Amino acid sequence: MDVRKLVRMANQIAANLDYGPNKEQVVYATADHLRRFWSPSMLQLIVEHYRSGDAELSDLASRAVARLAEEQQNVA
Amino acid sequence: MSAAFKPYRRARDMGTPASESERIVTLTIDGEEVSVPEGTTVLRAAAEAGINIPKLCATDSQQPFGSCRLCLVEIEGAKGMPASCTTEVREGMHVQTQNKRLADVRRNVMELYISDHPLDCLTCPTNGDCELQDMAGAVGLREVRYGYEGANHFDAEKDTSNPYFTFDPTKCIVCSRCVRACDEVQGTFALTIDGRGFASKVAASQDQPFLDSECVSCGACVQACPTATLTENSLIEMGQPEHYVVTTCAYCGVGCSFRAEMKGSEVVKMIPNKDGHANHGHSCVKGRFAFGYATHKERITKPMIRETIHEPWREVSWEEAISFTAAKFKSIQEKYGKGAVGGITSSRCTNEETYLVQKLVRAAFGNNNVDTCARVCHSPTGYGLKATLGESAGTQAFDSVMKADVIMVIGANPPDAHPVFASQMKQRLREGAKLIVVDPRATDLVRSPHIEADYHLALKPGTNVAIINALAHVVLSEGLEDKEFIEQRCDTEAYQDWREFILDPKNAPEAVEAETGVPAENVRGAARLYASAPNGAIYYGLGVSEHAQGSTMVMGIANLAMATGNLGREGVGVNPLRGQNNVQGSCDMGSFPHELPGYRHVSDPAVRALFDQEWGVTVQPEPGFRIPNMFDAAVAGEFKGLYVQGEDVAQSDPDTHHVTAALSSLECMVVQDLFLNETAKFAHVFLPGSSFLEKNGTFTNAERRISPVRKVMEPLAGYEDWEVTQLLSNALGYPMSYSHPREIMDEIARLTPTFTGVSYEKLDKLGSIQWPCNDHAVEGTPTMHIDEFVRGKGLFRVTPYVPTDERTTPMYPLLLTTGRILSQYNVGAQTRRTANVSWHDEDVLEIHPHDAEQRGIQTGDWVGLKSRAGETVLRAVITERVMPGVVYTTFHHPESGANVVTTDNSDWATNCPEYKVTAVQAHKVTKLSEWQQNFETFTEEQLEFLRQARAGAEELG
Repeated sequence: MDVRKLVRMANQIAANLDYGPNKEQVVYATADHLRRFWSPSMLQLIVEHYRSGDAELSDLASRAVARLAEEQQNVA
Repeated sequence: MSAAFKPYRRARDMGTPASESERIVTLTIDGEEVSVPEGTTVLRAAAEAGINIPKLCATDSQQPFGSCRLCLVEIEGAKGMPASCTTEVREGMHVQTQNKRLADVRRNVMELYISDHPLDCLTCPTNGDCELQDMAGAVGLREVRYGYEGANHFDAEKDTSNPYFTFDPTKCIVCSRCVRACDEVQGTFALTIDGRGFASKVAASQDQPFLDSECVSCGACVQACPTATLTENSLIEMGQPEHYVVTTCAYCGVGCSFRAEMKGSEVVKMIPNKDGHANHGHSCVKGRFAFGYATHKERITKPMIRETIHEPWREVSWEEAISFTAAKFKSIQEKYGKGAVGGITSSRCTNEETYLVQKLVRAAFGNNNVDTCARVCHSPTGYGLKATLGESAGTQAFDSVMKADVIMVIGANPPDAHPVFASQMKQRLREGAKLIVVDPRATDLVRSPHIEADYHLALKPGTNVAIINALAHVVLSEGLEDKEFIEQRCDTEAYQDWREFILDPKNAPEAVEAETGVPAENVRGAARLYASAPNGAIYYGLGVSEHAQGSTMVMGIANLAMATGNLGREGVGVNPLRGQNNVQGSCDMGSFPHELPGYRHVSDPAVRALFDQEWGVTVQPEPGFRIPNMFDAAVAGEFKGLYVQGEDVAQSDPDTHHVTAALSSLECMVVQDLFLNETAKFAHVFLPGSSFLEKNGTFTNAERRISPVRKVMEPLAGYEDWEVTQLLSNALGYPMSYSHPREIMDEIARLTPTFTGVSYEKLDKLGSIQWPCNDHAVEGTPTMHIDEFVRGKGLFRVTPYVPTDERTTPMYPLLLTTGRILSQYNVGAQTRRTANVSWHDEDVLEIHPHDAEQRGIQTGDWVGLKSRAGETVLRAVITERVMPGVVYTTFHHPESGANVVTTDNSDWATNCPEYKVTAVQAHKVTKLSEWQQNFETFTEEQLEFLRQARAGAEELG
């Protein structure tokens, strides 16, 4: 699957959830949205992409994916 | 004969509409005491007592007219003989309907009618079902003393221009029922009585042929005609039906109830059911007339298989087709993993069929890779309404519109896409309700006979959220909110957050005027009108959902309705107008990859446990692929098998190049459909589907109304669609053993809290049921959220406006938006195979005169339409319905390639495609696009493969 498309989607989700001064809340909501609506393989791909040091994820989307990466590590 | 088959008889006509008064009046008719609601006419009161007063111009779908003078009665104390259709009952009234004086007058009236009526009853199409004939019998007409030599209309010419009905003016009695049907029922005002006195005649528009007139061919006039003046051509060809079956239309989300009037296994007429709860006896050109596709010669009735899409099809037995498919799917899963296959359910299929396909995917495939075509239309509705109100469905019954004082229509075109509901809405508008239209185009609702929008907010495509926030800004900043409702019914903290957000000056109408193109004063006026209405109702369509911010817009609409207290009673609400007949149902049935039936997330272990136990499998806890994810994964080589029931993604889904690349890379695609549609041209297995006339099941319309679909003829290919899914499941090793769809519905009811009380028995008894239907609402729920929201407190959601990435550029300076047309339906697979092509035989590009002039384009020219995704060529129509800078087209014909141009941009929350906004350039061209040329070659090749399959079968046969 084209990871660039996933990056674009993640950025779009974060941008639409971005309101107010509490950015932690936005990051939480973005990660939650990804978890609730993305298939495991899509999540895996974007996490791997994040781990490879991607620069295309927006700050908020990147922080959301970081959470997912952390969760995966904890499970592992 | 099935219990659903009823002997044919004309539906009883009570003469005038029912009165809704709660006050009861008692009178005496022919010595019988009769009690009826105040406001009832004497004609109807008599009918309710079983006394049939002769009548011709009166019918219960229209207001009384009093022209035929046949329904005269005598009333004690009243002078002369008043017409019973125009006389309302009074307490203590004594009415006589039959005596010598009345009989003489009625006979004389009929004698005059018949003196100018051809006496060809035996060869007349309505012989045996003619009100004029009945009345001649009822009054005992035995002679016509005037002869037939005088002035008459016997030489008037027939109008056969309409493909579905014939207008024979020689048989007209000028009762005006057709004219009134067009005015009162349909609301088009296309017919009139032209001329005066003896020269009076029915005329369409400016005395034009019906086909060239403003007539929308809804057929209400044909249904209303008491003679053979307006007659269905099918009736002329076939004669009277002998039985009928009540069923539900397979076209739009209005879900009209019909009597399929049959002769053996052939449909003679589809007559809208007067008892139909969604349509009350009305219909449109599609539902009433466009059913011929079901028996079209291009129907495929034999299963077919092939190894690759570059070779001819081979007709095979059902057994071979099913075992071929099962073997392919098993081998793909072994080779590429369990998640390498999936299924797509259809909003054109029944609840039971979609339920079964998602069950097949979750239980037999063992993954959650199931999605439905609602992905590309109303998935944002599911998301947005669930997030705010707690349930993924519209809040009202259609009838609620009759209590609305202000109607706001956003991104919807009901006269074209939901015509029967549009007629009801227009009735309310003619009664004085105010209208706000939010749409880039000047649709028919903006201005049509006796209808004019108070405000038309003609916004630039893509700026919906800016407008809804601006409307809310006016409501809050001017103190128009319903404080009591908000305090009692909504989450306070969320409201405060939303309030603070909305009151930001950047959301003021003046601040967004440049972005939206809508004058601030119009936004302010519209907001005041909506907020100050006793009952304000919002109706919306795909112009809301098919955007990059579709879900945000749905939440914005719910916010506005909550803030103004317009929820939880009749006359108000948030009403998504669903495109296809079973969009609501396919979503309810768990067709989304993240939700089990009843909109319950797959991650909920308690919910999964229910299904695990019932199905005897372990449902996966994580979401599967959505349709666009399936395509992306297919292109990447990770997704290899797809089962598509009743959908045509190759035509309907955006970015055709990408879709066809995905389909071409599948190792096994199974298409179950009526026709070799565009998607089937990429398939390896074709399983013949059954039309709505060939199966049992249920559809759920836009108002959550579950209505029965009943089999009126045997499936042409031998199986109903649910049976085919069952065969496939069994072949894959997951046993299914339903013997009737009622058993599937029973399972749905066992597993879904909002369907607990639904059964076929109850549907037979009540006619239809609006869910939720359970112990709390035994007969269903017309209005939702009455005392509290489904989620408890209504949740305001902050809705920041994020402009779409799809912006005009010097290279692509125009915005393309797409939509529907009345005579065609979705991808046109059904309607293109009917005479509806008389109205729309190709998709055209609407372009504003200013943009056309700049490009040297004239109406009828070929225009190349190019976006970053692709290019196609359409004929131009120059019109001011679109604003400068915006072009518009439809996607009913595959060769027009509208979706070659649309892009992969989608809603942030649901991936619903942004069909409504594509940056394009238009320029005059002289030949078809490269895509269209390739399409022609590919189509010809695939049709040849089909011909070879048929030829091969004949040789073997």
